[in-house]
Amino acid sequence: MAKAMQFPLHNYRHQVRALVLKELRQIMRDRQLIFLLFFMPILQLFLYGFALSPEVEHLRLGVIDNASSPVSRQIVAALVNNGVFDLRASGGTEATLSKHVEDGHLEAGIIMPPDLERVIKQGGPGKIQVLLDGVDANTAGITYGFISQIVATFNRELVTGSQISRELLSPQISFAYNPGLISSWFFVPGVIALVLNLVSTLVSSAAVIREKDSGTLEQLLMTPVSSLQILLAKIIPLSILLMITVMLCLLVSIFVFHVPFRGSFVLFLFVSFLAILVGISIGIALAAFSQNQRQSLLTSFFVNLPVIQLSGAVAPLESIPELFQWLSLLDPLRYYVNCVRAIILKGAGLEAIWPDVLALAAFAIILLVLSTSKFGRQLA
Amino acid sequence: MRIFSQAGKEIAQFRRDKLTVALAFLLPSVAVLLYGYATRLESKDIPVAVRNYDNGALSREYIDTIFANGQLTPARWVGKSAMGPLDLGVAKATITIPAEFSRRLKRGENSPVQVIIDATDVNNARVIKNSVIATTGYFLRSHNLMQVKNLVSAQVRLWFNPGREESLYVAPGATAVILWIFPCLLASLAMAREKEQGTILQLYASSISSFELVAGKALAYTAIAYVQAIIVVAISMILFGIRLVGDPFIYILSLTAFLSSAVLFGIFVGTRANTQSAAVQMVATTGFTTALLLSGFLYPLRNITYPLSLISNILPARYFVEASRNAFVRGSDFASQVQLPMALALCALILLVGASRIMRKMQLSGGS
Repeated sequence: MAKAMQFPLHNYRHQVRALVLKELRQIMRDRQLIFLLFFMPILQLFLYGFALSPEVEHLRLGVIDNASSPVSRQIVAALVNNGVFDLRASGGTEATLSKHVEDGHLEAGIIMPPDLERVIKQGGPGKIQVLLDGVDANTAGITYGFISQIVATFNRELVTGSQISRELLSPQISFAYNPGLISSWFFVPGVIALVLNLVSTLVSSAAVIREKDSGTLEQLLMTPVSSLQILLAKIIPLSILLMITVMLCLLVSIFVFHVPFRGSFVLFLFVSFLAILVGISIGIALAAFSQNQRQSLLTSFFVNLPVIQLSGAVAPLESIPELFQWLSLLDPLRYYVNCVRAIILKGAGLEAIWPDVLALAAFAIILLVLSTSKFGRQLA
Repeated sequence: MRIFSQAGKEIAQFRRDKLTVALAFLLPSVAVLLYGYATRLESKDIPVAVRNYDNGALSREYIDTIFANGQLTPARWVGKSAMGPLDLGVAKATITIPAEFSRRLKRGENSPVQVIIDATDVNNARVIKNSVIATTGYFLRSHNLMQVKNLVSAQVRLWFNPGREESLYVAPGATAVILWIFPCLLASLAMAREKEQGTILQLYASSISSFELVAGKALAYTAIAYVQAIIVVAISMILFGIRLVGDPFIYILSLTAFLSSAVLFGIFVGTRANTQSAAVQMVATTGFTTALLLSGFLYPLRNITYPLSLISNILPARYFVEASRNAFVRGSDFASQVQLPMALALCALILLVGASRIMRKMQLSGGS
C-alpha cells in the first residue's frame, strides 16, 4: 500500500490491467459470447449479402400472341433476351392469362393485338397490352421502366435498323462508385454497421449483468478498485475484441463479396471505434436499468429494433415519412452507416464525412457519460 | 384434458409477469409502426444536382421537365465539379447540360447530356436512370423533337396496386415477420425458463406426457399470439389502409397454422436452449434473420441465391407473407391458394412432433 501511495497513477493502471486480463479470460471461456462476437457477425453478413437482392430479372411472363407475326415474335424475343423476363406460358385466352397474374403465378402478361402487323405498316402505333403485378411496388416501377426502354429500342431498330439512338437528346448515363450495379456492395457495409451495433450492445450488457446476477459485483466493490475502474475493465477488453469483429467483417466483405475498399483504413478504424463505444454504452445502460438478464434481453429488442430500422442499413431513408426522418437523426447508427458506406465505396475522407463523424463522436461521448454515471450511481 | 390444464397454468403464469405482458403487446405494436413507416425501398424526392452550361430557354424547360414528376428534386449545389455533390452525399446524381444545348437542338443537332448516378444504392440508381430516360422522352415528344416515330407502344396496366403505394406491399409482409418473431420469442422464453429454474424436472417426474406438455404450452401461447395478431392487423388496417379483400376463411386458416408454427418453433428452440438468454439469441439469429431475409418480405423470393433459397422453402414465414398479401392486396379466392395453409399446417405438425420427441428423450421412462 505504501508503494501505491507513492505511485497512485501507476497503481491505478496496474489494477485496471489486472481487471482487463480477468475480463478477457472470462470472455474467452464463455462459448456463447465467443459465438456472439465472432460467428454471428459473419453468419449475418453472409445471410444479408446473399439473400437481399433488389435485382429485377427472371420475372415470369405469359404471352398471348394474337398477331403471331414476325414482329410480335421479335418483341417477345427482345423482352426475354434482356434477362428481365422468363417466358413461362404462351397461348390461351386473355381470361386465363389474367387469372395467372391475379393468382401470382405470373408477374407479367403480354397480349398482342391481332392487327399489329397491319397497324405498323400503316404507321402505327400498334398497341401491346402489358399486365403487371403491382403488389411489389418497387419491382413493378423498375419493370415498367425496363419495358418502355426495351420497346423504345425495338422501335429504333424497326425504323432505323440500328439499336443506337438517333435522338437529338439521349442522356449518357454512367454509374459512379458501383458501375456493375452489384447490390451486395450496398448491403454489406450497412450490415457491418448493423451487426456491430447488435453484437456490442448484447455482449456488453451480458458482461455487466452477469456480475450483477451472480453477485460478483459486490465482491469486486469490496476490493480497493473504484467503480470507474470496473467499467474501464469492461470497456477496454470488449472494445479490443469488437475491433477484431469489425476486421473480420471487413475481410469477409473484401474477399467474399469483393467490395472495394477505397477509403482510408485509419478513418474506418476510428469511426468503428466510435460506433463500438456507442454500442457498449447502450449495453451498459440496458444492464444498469434492468434487474435481471431476461429484462435486459427484452429491452435490448426494444432498443435495437428502432435503432436498426431507422439507420438506413437495409432500406434507404430518403422516402420515409418526415416524423421518422427526424427520429432517425437521433439514431447514432445512422451516422455510422453513412460513414462506412462513404469510406468503403466512395473513398470519402474526413473532409466529406466530418458532420457524420462529429455526430457519431458526440453520441459516443454523451452515451458513455450517461451510462457510466448511471451505473456508477447504482454501485455507490 | 391435461393439455387444457397445462395451457391454463401457462396463461396464469404469463399474466403474473407484468413486464413480459406489457412487452408482449407493446413490442409488436412498435414493430408494426417501424416496419410499416420506415421501410421504403424506392426513394422519392431524390436530390439531383444540375450543372447547366447553356443559357437558352430549352435547357431550362428540360430541367423543369426532369423535376416535374416528383421523383427527383433539385439539390442545393453551386460547385463546379461533377463528382463533388456525389462525394459529399448532397446529391444522388449530377446532370451536366453542355453549352449550346438549346441552339443545337433547335438546329436539329445532337446534344450530349451527361448524367452521373451515385450507384451505391443499386435499386435507387435504377430508379433515377429510369426517371431520367422517361422524362427525357417526354421532353422530346412535347417539343416535337422525336426523330423516331413509335410504331409499337406498350400500354402497361398495374394490377392490385395501380398507385404503386409501397405501404400496400410492406404492411402485409411486416405483419407476417412480426407475428413470427414475437410469438416465437415468448414461447421460447417460457420453455427455457422451466429449464433455467429447474421446474422442468418436476414435469419430467410427473405423469404428463411430453406431447401433452408441448401441446398445452403451444395452445396457451397460440392464444396469446392470436391477441398479438389482432392488435398488429388492426394497427396496419388503421394506419396503412389495408383491407381484407381476399377470402377471409383461408386467411384465418393460414393465420392459425402460422401462429401455431411460430409458437411451436419457439418451444422447439426452448427445448434446445438451456438458459433464457441463449433462447433469445437463438430466436434472434435463426428465427428473426431468416424471417426478415428469406421470406420475400423486402425483395422478391426469386432473387435469393441458390443454397439459401432451399432454406426459404421450409420457412413458414415465406408462406404466410404470400397468404397475407393474397388476403390484403391481391384478393385471391380460396381455390388458388389452398397449398399455403396446408404447407403451414405441415410445418406446425413437424415442429410439434419434433419438440415432443426431444422432450420425451429427457422424460423419466416411468411417466405415462
